[in-house]
This record gives sequence, structure tokens and C-alpha cells, in this order.
Amino acid sequence: MIPSPDTTRGRVATILGSDIPADLITQGTGGEIYIRVDTPGFSRAVSQLAASQFTLIGLFGVEAFGNNPGTSVLYVFEKQDHLLVLVPEESGPLPSIARIFPTATWFERECRDGFGFEFDDAFDTRRLFLHEPYPDGFHPLKKSFVNAPITPRRNISPADEYPFRKVSGDGVYQVPVGPVHAGIIEPGHFRFSVIGETIFNLEIRMFYKHRGIEKLLEGKVPDTCMPVAEAVSGDESVANATVFCMAAEQIAGVTVPERAWYLRTILLEMERMTSHLGDQGGMLVDVGFPLGANQFFVLREEMMRANDRITGSRFLRGMIRPGGIERDVPEAVISDLAVFLARLKKRYQAGLKIVLSTTSVIDRFATTGVVSRSLILPLALSGPVARASGGTEDTRVQHPYGVYGQYIPAVRSLHDGDVLARFTVKAAEVMASLDLIERLSREMPQGPVLADFSARDGYSLALVESARGENLCWLWIKDGRVERCTFRTASFCNWQAIEHAAQDNIPPDFPVINKSMNLSYAGTDL
Amino acid sequence: MSTDFILYLLLNTALVLLIAPLFSGLIKKVKAWTQGRQGPPLFQQYFVLVKLVKKEVIYSPNASWVMRAAPLVNMAAILVAALFVPLVFVPEPVGGIGNIILFMYLLALARFFMALAGLDAGSSFGGMGSSREMSFSAIIEPTTIIVFAALAIVFKSLDIFAMFAGSLATGTLATPTLILIGISLFIILVVETSRIPVDNPETHLELTMVHEGMLLEQSGKNLALMELSAAVKLTIMMALLINLVIPAGLALTLTTAGILLAALLFVLKGSVLAVIIGLFEASMAKKRLFQVPSLFAMAFFFSTLIIIIEVLA
Repeated sequence: MIPSPDTTRGRVATILGSDIPADLITQGTGGEIYIRVDTPGFSRAVSQLAASQFTLIGLFGVEAFGNNPGTSVLYVFEKQDHLLVLVPEESGPLPSIARIFPTATWFERECRDGFGFEFDDAFDTRRLFLHEPYPDGFHPLKKSFVNAPITPRRNISPADEYPFRKVSGDGVYQVPVGPVHAGIIEPGHFRFSVIGETIFNLEIRMFYKHRGIEKLLEGKVPDTCMPVAEAVSGDESVANATVFCMAAEQIAGVTVPERAWYLRTILLEMERMTSHLGDQGGMLVDVGFPLGANQFFVLREEMMRANDRITGSRFLRGMIRPGGIERDVPEAVISDLAVFLARLKKRYQAGLKIVLSTTSVIDRFATTGVVSRSLILPLALSGPVARASGGTEDTRVQHPYGVYGQYIPAVRSLHDGDVLARFTVKAAEVMASLDLIERLSREMPQGPVLADFSARDGYSLALVESARGENLCWLWIKDGRVERCTFRTASFCNWQAIEHAAQDNIPPDFPVINKSMNLSYAGTDL
Repeated sequence: MSTDFILYLLLNTALVLLIAPLFSGLIKKVKAWTQGRQGPPLFQQYFVLVKLVKKEVIYSPNASWVMRAAPLVNMAAILVAALFVPLVFVPEPVGGIGNIILFMYLLALARFFMALAGLDAGSSFGGMGSSREMSFSAIIEPTTIIVFAALAIVFKSLDIFAMFAGSLATGTLATPTLILIGISLFIILVVETSRIPVDNPETHLELTMVHEGMLLEQSGKNLALMELSAAVKLTIMMALLINLVIPAGLALTLTTAGILLAALLFVLKGSVLAVIIGLFEASMAKKRLFQVPSLFAMAFFFSTLIIIIEVLA
């Protein structure tokens, strides 16, 4: 049910407390409210939103949107179930809001790189995803840029190298780690400033694997976008495919059959469990307790085989598509899954018991890598990272999609914010997912799994809860093809918390802190 | 110098070099079994060493002569130290060989050069490894001295050969003092050989490394020397523990049958100890860096207790 414009306007007026003309407020298809503002109105609205404890969860550029022929910047704010999108109407530079919403720092830098869009008074104007070899004046998200190989700059002089924050003083030394790491992990650079064995400052540099996903999606019909959406982050395939489909379905006004949503939800929860099991194993490896780690790695491998049995893909790919599910899953497979998960649950609990009764593990986990609760709002943290630090939000509860309205997942929130809290929250989420899948597979209705989908023009915002937290997708379809599509995965925001979590810890504890937050490098760098 | 002693030198060195990779391979295997994995083949360590010897050595442009000398000095010091710990045959001591204080500082010399090599290449991980190793060694040294002092008081000698002979003569099994000595020596072994919970020999995470961090810049033959010397060190620390606590079978005279029996028994006892080390490692996570001294404190406490018991008794 779409609320009437009057109520929408009423809600906006209550929040912003200002008189914005009704014709500038529109209700989006995904429940979000678009507010068109001029530049002074924008600054006013931003401070009012900050005062009412809104979080900035998205900020992205789009060309030729609405009445603005140039680059518009869309600001997405969230508070509980409210979603507001501020659309400054005038072209030209906007004031930077990074001092009010710190999470805007990366967003604005991303927008500057992609569109060459300037923000007035920004304190950090370094490039973000365009590293040194990219030529000057190169802005790949502009429509005028044709997707083609570029000639990278060579022989970069030291003066042109990325300037890291300078930390100096008595006994401070730098430990650069990465972007090439030991082991099979993604690339990222960590610049530690250490005094003795205490981390004084950590600065991270990501974006070593830019693939041009947003550009790649442009001009495609939604049906053919799925492999790209699934590739946003390898182990979040279902979440990102689902959020893309939700946006496309909201625009097209397609209702996904109930059985398809049951199956999608099972896949989403399987993905969450697989991810959490891998994290928990990884955390134990990083404190040097392989005996415990293997309890979880074995289960994770078995989960991936179960994934393969259901979908033909260990990463659950190729199932989600606009309108529903690619193919139905036979009843026999679903009942086998229920049996498998019932067995897995017992072994999982046994594994948890081993780990949580080993004092040396608890000693390493407790008080390590604390993310303070006060960071959740300014950095837009979400997922287990936020919930282990006192956050209570879960997209499945705040913005229920599919069948989550009927099957409300239990949200476990802890307050310590340390590695142990994240381990425990993930354990609780695995148990909750097991219960959820068990109920879903028992109560699954019969029926079709794919509705007719034909793309309609429009734009929409969609949110899902991936294993790592809240993922966002904004999609604009024009003439049946993708005009602009952007993803913001939970990792994009959560990465920035690690700089705070590492402070005052010791370098040998950094790997376990990093693993406990389980951040995706690819999901940050589209 | 008697022929017996020359034979001892050859025999002991050959045996320790031959058997060292087996024990470290066995520990790996046991840890793999506890995790439900197959683990590498028992003799993998030998294959790795052969492979490394065949590979070229690469030096960092920042490296000085220290990097080139360290593997040799390290191996030499460890091999000389190995002469102080008879594995199967206890000859009459000659010169200072067998002196436990000298033994301790030979190990310290090896460690010192390893730490220098860690710093020499100029990589931050090597530097971190060296700094941690030196911090540990500063803390462990008093503990080691106390443990060795306890040994000297119990066996009334500073000579390892005499201690072994004494232990063999009394045929002691599990007197309270020996149990305490066994625990203390076990802790020294864990610390000296960089095993869990002090260090994680299997980690790939440079930020957490101690011993491995110092070796990151080593390659080829030099790495093989470093790896082999670590394995030899493990074996001599194990031999020290075994031959003091359960010396049965140790040969005092040089007869072929006696030596063979002693060698067989040593491999057997060593294997059992390797299994115990593997299980001990599997049972816990690595300690937080600053918590490691609490482990030393335990060895310190037990050894002090021995000294008190022995002096007052």
C-alpha cells in the first residue's frame, strides 16, 4: 500500500520541520521518499537530519536525473523504517557534509573520482578508487566516458604517490602491510603506526580491484544483469542478486510468487550461515587454535556442498532472477536439506562448546578490537559488527522484504563490541538461520516460482541484510535498460570501523580483529 | 681426546641431524590428526630441506654480510650445542663440552644472530619478529638460569654429561623433583623452539610472527640451514628432557648393540614426546603476546620450588 502524498509530506514535515512544497516530495517505489531541495534547503535539511539521528547510508552520483542535466548527487538517509533520499536540484558543487556525517568522506571521494563532482570545503580530497596509475581527468562513471581500456600512467614520482596520514613522534614507526598478503585473501593496504607493540594509528587503503561493475551494468536489460550483480562480492551473491531484483521488481510493479520468496529466503539464510561459519573458523585460525577452527571449516565445506546440491553452485549463484527464482527446488531436496541442517545444528553446538570452553581462546577474543557503540551512527555500521556493539538494527526487521514480515528473525545484540561479542553474535545468527530455514522448509507453499517480468522505466531503492550487514541497491531503468545502478555493501561502511577497532591493540591481534569483522574488499570496490 | 670421544662427536652430530626433521614432522602430523586432517607426510620435512638446498639464495638489496653469515653461525652454534646433549651415548666429558651454562649461551648466540638477520634485510616484519624474540629472550633468560640452577643442585654438577650419568645411575622415575624438573624443562622447550602458546610455527600471518618473522627474508640454502637448525634445537631440547627424566637405555660404554638399543629407545621416547608436544599445542590457542611471561613464571616457580626443596632437604 502506498501512502497518500499528504501523509508522506506530513512525515517529511515532521522530520525536517520545514515547509517543503508538496510537489518536491515524491514517494519512491521501494518505500523511500525523495525530497528535491535547492542548495540552501539541502544544508538545512542535512543539519535537521543529523539532529534527528538519521544515518547517511548512501551517497552516489547520477547524470541527467530529473530536471538537472548535469550530475545529481543522491543522499540516502535512514532511521529505523524511514528512508529519505535528498536530491539537490541545482547543478554545480555541493557543500561537503563529511564533518556532519563522517561516513560521507569515502562516499564523496568516490563520487569525485567517478563523476569529477566537487564538494566544497571537503577535508579529504584524495582519490579513492582511482589509484595513481589512472590518468588525470579520468571519470569513468560519466556517460561521456566510453567503457574501454585506458592507458595507465607509468613512472609515478614519489610526490604523486598517495599521501598517507603522517604520524610522527618518539618511537613511532610504520608497518606497511599488503596489498599482497600471505594466504589466499583479497588485496588491501594497511598502514600501521606502531609504538613498541601498540597500534597508535591505522590507516587503510582499499580499492585495488576496481572492476567497473556500475559501468558494466549500464545499457543492459535487467534479466542479463544477474551474473554481474552476483559478482559484486563473491560470498554475498544471493544478497546482492536479491537486492538488485527487488529494485527491478519494485520499478516494474511485479509481485514475486510466495514460493519464490520462501526459496530466496532459504538461500539468503544459507549464504549467511556459510559466511558466518567461515568467519568463525578464520577467527580461530588467527588466534592459533586450528583444532577449534576445523570444527567450523568442516561444517562450512558441508554447507557449500549443500549449496551445490540445491542450486548447482557452491556460492548459490544462478538462482535469483527478476520475477522470482530461476528454477523450482524439488520437495525431496528440501526435505533432505532439513535433515542435513538438523544434523549440522548438533555438530555446530558441539563445536561452539569446544571453543567457548577453551580459556586461551576466550582470553584472546575478549576485550580485543573493541568497536564502540558511538561509532555505529556516524559510520553507518551495520550487521554483526554493529549488533556486537549494542546496535539493534537488522534490515530484515526494520525494512522487512519477502517473507521476513511473517518470519521475523531473532536479533541478538551484545554490548562489548569486542571480537568475542562478534563471535557470539554470529553464533546466535547461525542458530537463528537454522531455525528460520527449518520453519520455512516445513511451511513452504506450493505454486509457481517465477512471475512474468518485463522491465518498466523508473527508479527505486532496495535494501537487504547480507551476512555482513545492510546492502543497498539503487536502480534506474530508462527505455527498458539500466541507466544507472549502484550498490553499497555493508563492507563499504564497516571497513572504516576497523581503523578505530585496531587502535590501542597490538599488531599480532590485528588479524583476528579483521577476520571478526569479515569485510569484503570486492564489495567495497565495484 | 679419546677415540671414544671422537666417535661420540661424530655419532651424536650425525644422529641429531638425521633425526631432527622426523620429530618436527611428527608434531605436524599429530596436530593435523587432532584437527581431522591427514597432514603432510611424516618425512615431508626432509623433502622440504632437499628442495630448499636446490634453490637459489636471494638477498635483499639492503642486506649486509650479517644476512650471509647468520645461517652459518646459527647452524654452527646449534650444532656445537648439540654436542653438549648426548642423545644415546654418554662419554667422559672433555674440556668444557657438557657445561650447561655454556650450552645456554650457545643457544643465545644462535638466537642473537637470527635476530640480527631479521633486522638486517630492512623489512618491518623481520624487525617485529626480532624485537619480539629479543623481548622474550630477555624475560626467559632468568627463568632458564633458575631451571638450570635447579638441575645443577639436584644432580650436583654443572655438566650435562654428569647429570645424565647421575640420572641413569639412580634410575629415578617420577620422584617429585623430577616431575617438577620435567615441567620446567617442557616449558623451556616450548619457548626455545617457538611453539604454541608462545609462537605459532604454522601461521601465515606476518603480523603475528615471532620466529617465522625473522626467517621471512631467508631463502634457498640459507632457509634450509635455518629450518634444520630449528629442528636440531627442538631435538636437543627434547633430548635434554628425555635423558634427564627417563634416561633408561642410555649407553655409557661404546658397544654396537648398546648404541643401537639406545638409539632405538631414543627415537621411541622422542616420538612419544613429539606426540605429547603436538597434543599440548592442539589443546590451546596461542597466547596474547603480553601474556606469554605468565608461562615462564610457571617454570620459574617450579624451579625455585625445586631449589628450596633440595637445599632444605
